[in-house]
Amino acid sequence: MTNPVTSLIVFGIVVVLLFLLFYPKSGFYWRIKTSFKNDTKILIEDILKKLYHAEDNGNTLNSNDIINSLNSSPKKILETIAEMENKELISFENGDIKLNDLGMDYALRVIRVHRLWEKYLSEKTGFDKKDWHEIAEKMEHKLDSLQAKELAINLGNPRFDPHGDPIPTETGEVEPINGKPLPTFSEGTIGRIIHIEDEPEIIYKQILAEDLHIGSHIHIIENNEKRIIFHSEGEEFILAPIVANNITIFELQKEEISEENTFRLSKLKKNEHAKIIGISGECRGEIRRRLLDLGFVINTKIEVDLTSPMNNPRAYLVRDTSIAIRNEQAKFILIEKK
Amino acid sequence: MKTNKILNISNDLRWQIGEGFHDKLTEGIYSDAATIAQNSVQKKGDAKRFRFDRSLDKIVTSKVWGFPIMILILSVVLWLTIIGANYPSGLLSDLLIGNIYPWLKTIGESIGFPWWLSGFLFDGVYLALAWVIAVMLPPMAIFFPLFTLLEDFGYLPRVAFNLDHLFKKSGAHGKQALTMSMGFGCNAAGVIATRIIDSPRERLIAIITNNFSLCNGRWPTQILIASIFIGALVPENFAGAISTFAVISIALLGIFFTFMVSLFLSKTMLKGEVSSFTLELPPYRPPRFWKTIYTSLIDRTLIVLWRACVFAAPAGAVIWLISNVFIGDSNIANWMIIHLDGFGILLGLNGVILLAYIVAIPANEIVIPTILMLTVMSASITGVGSGNGVMFELDSINATGEILKAGGWTLLTAINLMLFSLLHNPCSTTIYTIYKETKSVKWTTVASILPIILGFIVCFIVAQVWRILM
Repeated sequence: MTNPVTSLIVFGIVVVLLFLLFYPKSGFYWRIKTSFKNDTKILIEDILKKLYHAEDNGNTLNSNDIINSLNSSPKKILETIAEMENKELISFENGDIKLNDLGMDYALRVIRVHRLWEKYLSEKTGFDKKDWHEIAEKMEHKLDSLQAKELAINLGNPRFDPHGDPIPTETGEVEPINGKPLPTFSEGTIGRIIHIEDEPEIIYKQILAEDLHIGSHIHIIENNEKRIIFHSEGEEFILAPIVANNITIFELQKEEISEENTFRLSKLKKNEHAKIIGISGECRGEIRRRLLDLGFVINTKIEVDLTSPMNNPRAYLVRDTSIAIRNEQAKFILIEKK
Repeated sequence: MKTNKILNISNDLRWQIGEGFHDKLTEGIYSDAATIAQNSVQKKGDAKRFRFDRSLDKIVTSKVWGFPIMILILSVVLWLTIIGANYPSGLLSDLLIGNIYPWLKTIGESIGFPWWLSGFLFDGVYLALAWVIAVMLPPMAIFFPLFTLLEDFGYLPRVAFNLDHLFKKSGAHGKQALTMSMGFGCNAAGVIATRIIDSPRERLIAIITNNFSLCNGRWPTQILIASIFIGALVPENFAGAISTFAVISIALLGIFFTFMVSLFLSKTMLKGEVSSFTLELPPYRPPRFWKTIYTSLIDRTLIVLWRACVFAAPAGAVIWLISNVFIGDSNIANWMIIHLDGFGILLGLNGVILLAYIVAIPANEIVIPTILMLTVMSASITGVGSGNGVMFELDSINATGEILKAGGWTLLTAINLMLFSLLHNPCSTTIYTIYKETKSVKWTTVASILPIILGFIVCFIVAQVWRILM
């Protein structure tokens, strides 16, 4: 019989090896797999995207900026930029790189696929919000325009991706976003969140942690260099200006505002009566349709029926039927207390 | 051309209508329905009834009583099943194995069947079938109707409601509590029961982890091994208590693995599947007794039994064949046992156990008879059993223990057998059912292989640690 200590050690080594090889993303197996795939097409498309976003924000980029912002070797990037110039995708102007018409078209096609795929992930799959961007980054290089068209039709030709970014049309038209970053508004402004930027990831994660929803109305209470305080859906939010800068707000006129007394359903207490005024835009896909089908629609009376022993989920009385939903979902249902 | 034009117009219109279209449509349908209902439906005063529901709900979902009531009901159901099934099982086994089996053998002899034909048909195919029916039918015929009655009454959705928070932590659905409990009766039925989970991701989790519920086919194995080996560790007065405790610990370990594996699956393989949670709490209603009995017998018991029989018959044939087909001077079974022994002992088991689990894939019920037969054969014990390839069981627990000890079993073998009986591939009936429910080779493979890998790892570690400490 083998010595038990030896066999345990062998087993331990095998486990550690497997772990190192296949650990998600940073495992050797995945790294080798991606390093083989890193071909010029992907690099060209990534550079085009960088240029498009820079021009969209009114900035310019030179070769160094691009080398610094991408993960490939500088040599490879310079070669690729030369190749792109040959193909007339880009041209140089005083050392800055500009997108040509051809390059602009190409960039918009890539962005179209990226945003369509994010829309697809949000509507038809269960991936977490924070994973969307990364998966779409991979898919944008894989779909051709015919597949993109099919995808768009399947999704019902969406106009905006789940972050509120416009999806370029097949012909390359982009709808403008008519809002401004949150910190530019003064105290007392009432507006609607129309866009939440998902890059850089660190800031996006902070916004996710705050649990802000696209489409919700906000009321700015305080705005200074240190912090921005605003109320939304019965909750108070405090953000640093650098974080708030990634949130785009569309200012509302007085007559458009009807949600003064708005709360999230998760805040409804026992024996309180309320009326549903809508489901947040942040609640998508299957679960949104399910809630609608169960009768969580506008103007429906609602009250708490039962609370489970661990306080979550809770059952609500909707149209004489007791329906249990988790607090995570109840947050998406907006109510008006009576 | 015309169709293209229409399609283009429709695409344009969708673009203009925008995102809230589905919401508005649903709202429209509801408001129309509400208007129609208001004008035409007359309500009778059933407020009293409603109050009864409310007060019952308050008790069964209360912080104090919710969990105790749940545990009590589940224990009663399991106790009734395990204890209650003994008598009909005994009767069936007397009839099928004690009377019909010898009768068939005599008939075979009188017609002049050669020994191999009667061995193949009666000792192999018939005996396995008879065994599966005798051991499987009674517990299922008790468990499923009881469970269906609770379901029909409306209690089970409240269990899901109470437990959802626990299951949510491992990325699963509260209703998995029900499919898990159903799995204590039969994993195949548990897998079918996952249809009540409407969210695709949580349903797959429930299907894949159902095997960690100790099913009816495995309770007797656990009880037998625990009373032979673990009960013997303590003075006779405590033997019953300690072996019961051991069996319950194994079942609880199964629940622990259910949660762990659910968590693992929801974080890795199943991340992208759609997840949505809603749970309707229907009003209580008196169960329709006879209808429930009928449907649970037909829909659940007989279908599962039929599937088990379909798989058990060839398994019986295989068990008989490997014990009676000789290559050189050793039969296939002995040859396999010798080759599996090294790996088996590394896991703290032995070759006989591994072979028994390979050939007894169709039903966990025939694992113990197969192990006994193989042990007697490979250790050349004389005086017990009825020959190569003929499964048997002994009435006396002590005699069974003697055979196993003669086959080289130790306390470690017993503990690891109990662990392996919990953590191994689902029976072929369940595998087939998983395929039927998921229609996916991938998920069926995952559900079949994942538990046995876990079983190997757990048994291996326990064996090594045991050998270092003892």
